[in-house]
Amino acid sequence: MFPGSEAVLMEEGIPTLPAAPANDPLEHLVRRIRAGEGEAFEALMARTEARLLALAWRILGDRHLAEDAAQETFLRVFRSLNTFRLGEPFEAWMVRIAVNVCHDLSRKRGPLPLPMETLEILEGDAAPMNAEEAVLLQQRRAMIQRALRSLPQAERAALVLRDLEGFSTEEAARILGVRPVTIRSQVSSARAKVQAFCSRLLQPPQGGRP
Amino acid sequence: MTSHVLDLLPLWVEGDLTATERAAVDRHLAVCPACQSATEQLKTSQAWLREAMAAPFDASDQDRLRRRVMDQIRAEIPAKPIRRLAVRPALLAACVASLLVATLVWRRGHEVEGGIPQLMPPPLPEVVQPPSAPDLPSSTVGRQTASLPHPRGRPAPRQDLEASAQGEPTRIEFQTANPTIRIIWLAQSKSLPETTPSIEEKS
Repeated sequence: MFPGSEAVLMEEGIPTLPAAPANDPLEHLVRRIRAGEGEAFEALMARTEARLLALAWRILGDRHLAEDAAQETFLRVFRSLNTFRLGEPFEAWMVRIAVNVCHDLSRKRGPLPLPMETLEILEGDAAPMNAEEAVLLQQRRAMIQRALRSLPQAERAALVLRDLEGFSTEEAARILGVRPVTIRSQVSSARAKVQAFCSRLLQPPQGGRP
Repeated sequence: MTSHVLDLLPLWVEGDLTATERAAVDRHLAVCPACQSATEQLKTSQAWLREAMAAPFDASDQDRLRRRVMDQIRAEIPAKPIRRLAVRPALLAACVASLLVATLVWRRGHEVEGGIPQLMPPPLPEVVQPPSAPDLPSSTVGRQTASLPHPRGRPAPRQDLEASAQGEPTRIEFQTANPTIRIIWLAQSKSLPETTPSIEEKS
Protein backbone atom coordinates (compact mmCIF):
# COMPACT_ATOMS: atom_id res chain seq x y z
CA MET A 1 0.00 0.00 0.00
CA PHE A 2 2.82 2.36 0.83
CA PRO A 3 5.60 1.84 -1.66
CA GLY A 4 8.98 1.97 -0.10
CA SER A 5 11.20 1.79 -3.11
CA GLU A 6 12.09 4.24 -5.85
CA ALA A 7 11.26 1.65 -8.45
CA VAL A 8 7.62 1.87 -7.46
CA LEU A 9 7.80 5.64 -7.63
CA MET A 10 9.20 5.57 -11.12
CA GLU A 11 6.43 3.29 -12.37
CA GLU A 12 3.97 6.08 -11.83
CA GLY A 13 5.82 8.40 -14.17
CA ILE A 14 7.40 11.76 -13.55
CA PRO A 15 5.02 14.58 -14.29
CA THR A 16 6.40 17.92 -15.27
CA LEU A 17 6.92 20.56 -12.66
CA PRO A 18 4.40 23.36 -12.38
CA ALA A 19 4.97 26.72 -13.99
CA ALA A 20 7.23 29.04 -12.07
CA PRO A 21 5.94 32.28 -10.63
CA ALA A 22 6.08 35.14 -13.10
CA ASN A 23 9.20 36.67 -11.56
CA ASP A 24 11.16 33.75 -10.16
CA PRO A 25 14.21 35.48 -8.67
CA LEU A 26 16.34 32.41 -9.22
CA GLU A 27 15.63 32.29 -12.95
CA HIS A 28 17.61 35.47 -13.50
CA LEU A 29 20.61 33.84 -11.85
CA VAL A 30 20.14 30.72 -13.94
CA ARG A 31 20.29 32.78 -17.13
CA ARG A 32 23.51 34.47 -15.98
CA ILE A 33 25.12 31.15 -15.15
CA ARG A 34 24.15 29.78 -18.54
CA ALA A 35 25.71 32.84 -20.14
CA GLY A 36 29.01 31.84 -18.60
CA GLU A 37 29.01 33.77 -15.33
CA GLY A 38 30.33 31.14 -13.00
CA GLU A 39 30.23 33.55 -10.08
CA ALA A 40 26.46 33.84 -10.40
CA PHE A 41 26.31 30.28 -9.16
CA GLU A 42 27.69 31.47 -5.84
CA ALA A 43 24.77 33.88 -5.55
CA LEU A 44 22.41 31.05 -6.40
CA MET A 45 23.93 28.92 -3.67
CA ALA A 46 23.68 31.70 -1.13
CA ARG A 47 19.93 31.79 -1.71
CA THR A 48 19.29 28.07 -1.62
CA GLU A 49 21.94 26.37 0.48
CA ALA A 50 20.15 26.69 3.84
CA ARG A 51 17.07 25.00 2.50
CA LEU A 52 19.04 22.31 0.74
CA LEU A 53 21.11 21.49 3.80
CA ALA A 54 17.99 21.25 5.94
CA LEU A 55 16.23 19.06 3.40
CA ALA A 56 19.15 16.66 3.15
CA TRP A 57 19.51 16.47 6.91
CA ARG A 58 15.80 15.77 7.39
CA ILE A 59 15.83 12.99 4.84
CA LEU A 60 19.16 11.44 5.79
CA GLY A 61 19.17 12.13 9.52
CA ASP A 62 22.93 12.65 9.60
CA ARG A 63 24.70 15.98 9.63
CA HIS A 64 27.87 15.04 7.75
CA LEU A 65 26.00 12.99 5.22
CA ALA A 66 23.66 15.90 4.66
CA GLU A 67 26.61 18.18 3.90
CA ASP A 68 27.93 15.67 1.39
CA ALA A 69 24.49 15.39 -0.18
CA ALA A 70 24.13 19.16 -0.45
CA GLN A 71 27.54 19.44 -2.10
CA GLU A 72 26.76 16.69 -4.58
CA THR A 73 23.38 18.25 -5.31
CA PHE A 74 24.89 21.63 -6.14
CA LEU A 75 27.47 20.03 -8.40
CA ARG A 76 24.79 18.07 -10.22
CA VAL A 77 22.71 21.22 -10.55
CA PHE A 78 25.65 23.07 -12.08
CA ARG A 79 26.52 20.28 -14.51
CA SER A 80 22.96 19.78 -15.69
CA LEU A 81 21.82 23.38 -15.64
CA ASN A 82 21.40 23.35 -19.42
CA THR A 83 18.67 20.72 -19.06
CA PHE A 84 16.60 22.95 -16.80
CA ARG A 85 13.61 24.32 -18.64
CA LEU A 86 13.15 28.03 -18.05
CA GLY A 87 9.68 28.78 -16.80
CA GLU A 88 9.60 25.93 -14.33
CA PRO A 89 10.22 26.62 -10.64
CA PHE A 90 13.95 26.27 -10.21
CA GLU A 91 13.81 25.43 -6.53
CA ALA A 92 11.45 22.49 -7.11
CA TRP A 93 13.79 21.20 -9.85
CA MET A 94 16.72 21.46 -7.47
CA VAL A 95 14.82 19.75 -4.65
CA ARG A 96 14.03 16.87 -6.99
CA ILE A 97 17.76 16.45 -7.65
CA ALA A 98 18.48 16.69 -3.93
CA VAL A 99 15.97 13.97 -3.09
CA ASN A 100 17.55 11.70 -5.69
CA VAL A 101 21.02 12.40 -4.29
CA CYS A 102 19.79 11.63 -0.78
CA HIS A 103 18.29 8.36 -1.93
CA ASP A 104 21.54 7.44 -3.69
CA LEU A 105 23.58 8.18 -0.59
CA SER A 106 21.10 6.40 1.62
CA ARG A 107 21.34 3.27 -0.50
CA LYS A 108 25.13 3.32 -0.42
CA ARG A 109 25.31 3.99 3.29
CA GLY A 110 22.69 1.56 4.53
CA PRO A 111 20.59 2.11 7.64
CA LEU A 112 21.96 4.56 10.16
CA PRO A 113 22.11 3.72 13.85
CA LEU A 114 19.32 5.36 15.78
CA PRO A 115 20.31 8.69 17.30
CA MET A 116 21.53 8.97 20.83
CA GLU A 117 19.28 10.54 23.41
CA THR A 118 21.58 13.53 23.82
CA LEU A 119 21.41 15.94 20.94
CA GLU A 120 23.12 19.18 20.25
CA ILE A 121 21.45 22.39 21.28
CA LEU A 122 20.41 24.32 18.23
CA GLU A 123 20.92 28.00 17.62
CA GLY A 124 17.19 28.56 17.67
CA ASP A 125 17.00 27.41 21.27
CA ALA A 126 17.90 30.81 22.60
CA ALA A 127 14.70 31.03 24.65
CA PRO A 128 15.60 30.61 28.27
CA MET A 129 14.65 27.29 29.74
CA ASN A 130 15.57 25.47 32.85
CA ALA A 131 17.57 22.29 32.85
CA GLU A 132 14.50 20.08 33.05
CA GLU A 133 12.91 21.71 30.01
CA ALA A 134 16.13 21.40 28.06
CA VAL A 135 16.33 17.71 28.83
CA LEU A 136 12.72 17.19 27.79
CA LEU A 137 13.32 19.05 24.56
CA GLN A 138 16.33 16.91 23.72
CA GLN A 139 14.38 13.77 24.49
CA ARG A 140 11.57 14.83 22.21
CA ARG A 141 14.02 15.54 19.41
CA ALA A 142 15.68 12.20 19.75
CA MET A 143 12.30 10.51 19.80
CA ILE A 144 11.05 12.26 16.68
CA GLN A 145 14.26 11.52 14.81
CA ARG A 146 14.04 7.87 15.76
CA ALA A 147 10.47 7.87 14.53
CA LEU A 148 11.45 9.42 11.22
CA ARG A 149 14.25 6.93 10.67
CA SER A 150 11.85 4.09 11.26
CA LEU A 151 9.74 5.21 8.29
CA PRO A 152 10.13 3.76 4.82
CA GLN A 153 12.16 5.98 2.53
CA ALA A 154 9.24 7.09 0.36
CA GLU A 155 7.06 7.97 3.35
CA ARG A 156 9.87 9.91 4.97
CA ALA A 157 10.50 11.90 1.80
CA ALA A 158 6.81 12.67 1.42
CA LEU A 159 6.50 13.75 5.05
CA VAL A 160 9.58 15.95 4.85
CA LEU A 161 8.42 17.69 1.69
CA ARG A 162 4.82 18.09 2.76
CA ASP A 163 5.07 18.90 6.48
CA LEU A 164 8.58 20.29 6.92
CA GLU A 165 9.50 21.90 3.60
CA GLY A 166 6.10 23.45 3.06
CA PHE A 167 5.31 22.02 -0.36
CA SER A 168 1.69 21.33 -1.19
CA THR A 169 0.55 17.78 -1.88
CA GLU A 170 0.58 18.45 -5.62
CA GLU A 171 4.05 20.01 -5.55
CA ALA A 172 5.45 17.17 -3.48
CA ALA A 173 3.91 14.71 -5.93
CA ARG A 174 5.57 16.41 -8.89
CA ILE A 175 8.92 16.57 -7.17
CA LEU A 176 8.83 12.91 -6.19
CA GLY A 177 7.33 11.81 -9.49
CA VAL A 178 4.20 10.24 -8.08
CA ARG A 179 0.50 10.99 -8.09
CA PRO A 180 -0.98 13.31 -5.43
CA VAL A 181 -3.08 10.49 -4.05
CA THR A 182 0.11 8.57 -3.35
CA ILE A 183 1.53 11.49 -1.41
CA ARG A 184 -1.71 11.71 0.53
CA SER A 185 -1.49 8.08 1.51
CA GLN A 186 2.18 8.33 2.38
CA VAL A 187 1.91 11.39 4.59
CA SER A 188 -1.18 9.99 6.30
CA SER A 189 0.66 6.79 7.14
CA ALA A 190 3.80 8.64 8.20
CA ARG A 191 1.93 11.01 10.53
CA ALA A 192 0.10 8.14 12.15
CA LYS A 193 3.33 6.20 12.64
CA VAL A 194 5.15 9.17 14.17
CA GLN A 195 2.26 9.78 16.52
CA ALA A 196 2.13 6.11 17.51
CA PHE A 197 5.89 6.08 18.06
CA CYS A 198 5.65 9.09 20.35
CA SER A 199 2.67 7.69 22.27
CA ARG A 200 4.39 4.40 22.82
CA LEU A 201 7.52 6.00 24.21
CA LEU A 202 5.68 8.54 26.31
CA GLN A 203 3.38 6.02 27.96
CA PRO A 204 4.37 5.34 31.56
CA PRO A 205 5.78 1.85 31.93
CA GLN A 206 3.09 -0.67 32.76
CA GLY A 207 3.24 -2.90 35.77
CA GLY A 208 5.41 -6.00 35.82
CA ARG A 209 4.80 -8.93 33.57
CA PRO A 210 1.79 -11.03 34.38
CA MET B 1 -22.66 3.92 17.81
CA THR B 2 -20.89 6.10 15.23
CA SER B 3 -18.05 4.71 13.14
CA HIS B 4 -14.72 6.28 14.05
CA VAL B 5 -12.70 8.42 11.67
CA LEU B 6 -9.24 7.53 12.92
CA ASP B 7 -7.97 6.84 9.39
CA LEU B 8 -8.85 10.34 8.30
CA LEU B 9 -7.43 12.16 11.31
CA PRO B 10 -3.79 12.27 10.07
CA LEU B 11 -5.05 14.11 6.99
CA TRP B 12 -7.52 16.23 8.95
CA VAL B 13 -4.84 17.72 11.24
CA GLU B 14 -2.97 19.24 8.28
CA GLY B 15 -5.99 20.20 6.23
CA ASP B 16 -5.51 17.59 3.52
CA LEU B 17 -9.16 16.49 3.36
CA THR B 18 -11.77 17.58 0.87
CA ALA B 19 -14.54 19.81 2.11
CA THR B 20 -16.96 16.90 2.27
CA GLU B 21 -14.56 14.69 4.19
CA ARG B 22 -13.67 17.50 6.57
CA ALA B 23 -17.31 18.19 7.35
CA ALA B 24 -17.90 14.53 8.12
CA VAL B 25 -14.91 14.38 10.45
CA ASP B 26 -15.95 17.57 12.19
CA ARG B 27 -19.43 16.14 12.84
CA HIS B 28 -17.91 12.98 14.28
CA LEU B 29 -15.39 14.80 16.48
CA ALA B 30 -18.19 16.80 18.04
CA VAL B 31 -19.62 13.67 19.58
CA CYS B 32 -16.63 11.31 20.00
CA PRO B 33 -14.22 11.94 22.91
CA ALA B 34 -11.93 9.10 21.80
CA CYS B 35 -11.33 10.65 18.41
CA GLN B 36 -10.92 14.07 20.02
CA SER B 37 -8.16 12.63 22.17
CA ALA B 38 -6.49 11.05 19.14
CA THR B 39 -6.70 14.38 17.36
CA GLU B 40 -4.94 16.15 20.20
CA GLN B 41 -2.18 13.53 20.18
CA LEU B 42 -1.71 13.96 16.46
CA LYS B 43 -1.52 17.73 16.76
CA THR B 44 1.08 17.36 19.50
CA SER B 45 3.23 14.95 17.54
CA GLN B 46 3.09 17.20 14.47
CA ALA B 47 4.22 20.15 16.56
CA TRP B 48 7.06 18.07 17.99
CA LEU B 49 8.00 16.99 14.48
CA ARG B 50 8.48 20.57 13.36
CA GLU B 51 10.28 21.47 16.55
CA ALA B 52 12.66 18.52 16.39
CA MET B 53 13.53 18.81 12.73
CA ALA B 54 14.85 22.36 12.81
CA ALA B 55 18.09 22.14 10.85
CA PRO B 56 21.28 22.20 12.95
CA PHE B 57 23.31 24.25 10.44
CA ASP B 58 24.56 27.77 10.90
CA ALA B 59 26.18 30.36 8.64
CA SER B 60 29.66 28.85 8.97
CA ASP B 61 28.36 25.50 7.70
CA GLN B 62 26.84 27.24 4.70
CA ASP B 63 30.02 29.18 3.99
CA ARG B 64 32.08 26.01 4.12
CA LEU B 65 29.70 24.24 1.75
CA ARG B 66 29.74 27.16 -0.68
CA ARG B 67 33.54 27.28 -0.68
CA ARG B 68 33.83 23.57 -1.38
CA VAL B 69 31.34 23.67 -4.20
CA MET B 70 32.74 26.81 -5.82
CA ASP B 71 36.30 25.46 -5.67
CA GLN B 72 35.20 22.40 -7.57
CA ILE B 73 33.13 24.39 -10.05
CA ARG B 74 36.00 26.77 -10.82
CA ALA B 75 38.19 23.78 -11.49
CA GLU B 76 35.59 22.37 -13.87
CA ILE B 77 34.76 25.52 -15.83
CA PRO B 78 37.80 25.48 -18.22
CA ALA B 79 37.08 21.89 -19.15
CA LYS B 80 33.48 22.45 -20.07
CA PRO B 81 32.91 20.85 -23.47
CA ILE B 82 30.69 23.63 -24.74
CA ARG B 83 33.50 26.16 -24.52
CA ARG B 84 36.01 23.87 -26.21
CA LEU B 85 33.66 23.34 -29.12
CA ALA B 86 33.11 27.07 -29.46
CA VAL B 87 36.82 27.79 -29.83
CA ARG B 88 37.69 25.03 -32.25
CA PRO B 89 36.39 26.37 -35.59
CA ALA B 90 38.01 29.77 -35.13
CA LEU B 91 41.30 28.22 -34.08
CA LEU B 92 41.27 25.90 -37.05
CA ALA B 93 40.56 28.68 -39.51
CA ALA B 94 43.35 30.81 -38.07
CA CYS B 95 45.82 27.96 -38.36
CA VAL B 96 44.93 27.29 -42.00
CA ALA B 97 45.16 30.96 -42.94
CA SER B 98 48.53 31.33 -41.22
CA LEU B 99 49.87 28.29 -43.01
CA LEU B 100 48.78 29.56 -46.39
CA VAL B 101 50.24 33.02 -45.90
CA ALA B 102 53.53 31.66 -44.58
CA THR B 103 53.88 29.30 -47.53
CA LEU B 104 53.23 32.04 -50.05
CA VAL B 105 55.64 34.50 -48.45
CA TRP B 106 58.37 31.90 -48.22
CA ARG B 107 58.07 30.86 -51.84
CA ARG B 108 57.92 34.41 -53.16
CA GLY B 109 60.97 35.40 -51.18
CA HIS B 110 63.04 32.54 -52.57
CA GLU B 111 61.84 33.17 -56.09
CA VAL B 112 63.02 36.78 -56.03
CA GLU B 113 66.44 35.71 -54.76
CA GLY B 114 67.05 33.52 -57.76
CA GLY B 115 64.79 30.63 -57.70
CA ILE B 116 64.27 27.64 -55.52
CA PRO B 117 64.34 23.98 -56.25
CA GLN B 118 60.97 22.98 -57.60
CA LEU B 119 59.33 21.23 -54.71
CA MET B 120 55.94 21.14 -56.25
CA PRO B 121 55.00 18.85 -59.06
CA PRO B 122 55.09 20.39 -62.51
CA PRO B 123 52.06 22.42 -63.42
CA LEU B 124 49.18 20.43 -64.58
CA PRO B 125 47.46 21.07 -67.86
CA GLU B 126 45.32 24.12 -67.47
CA VAL B 127 42.50 25.69 -69.30
CA VAL B 128 43.20 29.39 -69.20
CA GLN B 129 40.31 31.75 -69.12
CA PRO B 130 40.02 33.37 -72.52
CA PRO B 131 41.05 37.01 -72.48
CA SER B 132 37.65 38.02 -73.71
CA ALA B 133 36.50 38.89 -70.21
CA PRO B 134 39.03 41.37 -68.91
CA ASP B 135 36.53 43.52 -67.07
CA LEU B 136 35.73 40.93 -64.46
CA PRO B 137 37.87 40.95 -61.35
CA SER B 138 40.43 38.26 -61.51
CA SER B 139 39.61 36.98 -58.03
CA THR B 140 36.12 36.10 -59.14
CA VAL B 141 37.03 34.77 -62.52
CA GLY B 142 39.78 32.55 -61.28
CA ARG B 143 41.25 29.84 -63.41
CA GLN B 144 39.92 26.48 -64.09
CA THR B 145 42.51 23.99 -63.10
CA ALA B 146 42.47 20.31 -63.78
CA SER B 147 43.36 18.28 -60.75
CA LEU B 148 44.60 14.80 -60.32
CA PRO B 149 43.33 12.50 -57.61
CA HIS B 150 45.46 12.70 -54.51
CA PRO B 151 46.11 10.19 -51.78
CA ARG B 152 43.44 10.29 -49.13
CA GLY B 153 44.18 12.58 -46.20
CA ARG B 154 47.15 14.37 -47.83
CA PRO B 155 46.63 17.90 -49.08
CA ALA B 156 47.94 18.60 -52.55
CA PRO B 157 48.99 22.23 -52.88
CA ARG B 158 49.40 23.76 -56.30
CA GLN B 159 50.64 27.21 -57.12
CA ASP B 160 50.60 29.27 -60.28
CA LEU B 161 53.55 31.58 -59.76
CA GLU B 162 53.91 32.24 -63.45
CA ALA B 163 50.49 33.69 -63.51
CA SER B 164 51.44 36.09 -60.78
CA ALA B 165 54.39 37.31 -62.80
CA GLN B 166 52.00 38.10 -65.66
CA GLY B 167 49.78 40.19 -63.41
CA GLU B 168 47.24 37.49 -62.86
CA PRO B 169 46.34 36.26 -59.37
CA THR B 170 48.42 33.59 -57.71
CA ARG B 171 46.39 30.52 -57.12
CA ILE B 172 47.06 27.93 -54.46
CA GLU B 173 44.93 24.85 -54.23
CA PHE B 174 44.69 22.30 -51.51
CA GLN B 175 42.82 19.12 -52.17
CA THR B 176 41.46 17.83 -48.89
CA ALA B 177 40.81 14.21 -48.04
CA ASN B 178 37.26 14.77 -49.07
CA PRO B 179 37.28 14.84 -52.87
CA THR B 180 34.38 17.26 -52.93
CA ILE B 181 36.19 19.88 -50.84
CA ARG B 182 39.07 21.90 -52.24
CA ILE B 183 40.66 24.93 -50.62
CA ILE B 184 41.56 27.59 -53.17
CA TRP B 185 43.55 30.68 -52.25
CA LEU B 186 43.96 33.58 -54.69
CA ALA B 187 46.36 36.50 -54.23
CA GLN B 188 47.46 39.29 -56.47
CA SER B 189 49.94 42.07 -55.86
CA LYS B 190 49.50 45.16 -57.92
CA SER B 191 49.68 48.85 -57.36
CA LEU B 192 46.59 50.72 -56.44
CA PRO B 193 44.87 52.28 -59.42
CA GLU B 194 45.45 55.94 -59.81
CA THR B 195 42.36 57.81 -58.96
CA THR B 196 41.56 61.33 -59.86
CA PRO B 197 39.89 63.51 -57.29
CA SER B 198 36.21 63.86 -57.80
CA ILE B 199 36.54 67.63 -57.63
CA GLU B 200 38.67 67.66 -60.75
CA GLU B 201 36.22 65.43 -62.55
CA LYS B 202 33.50 67.90 -61.87
CA SER B 203 35.60 70.78 -63.01
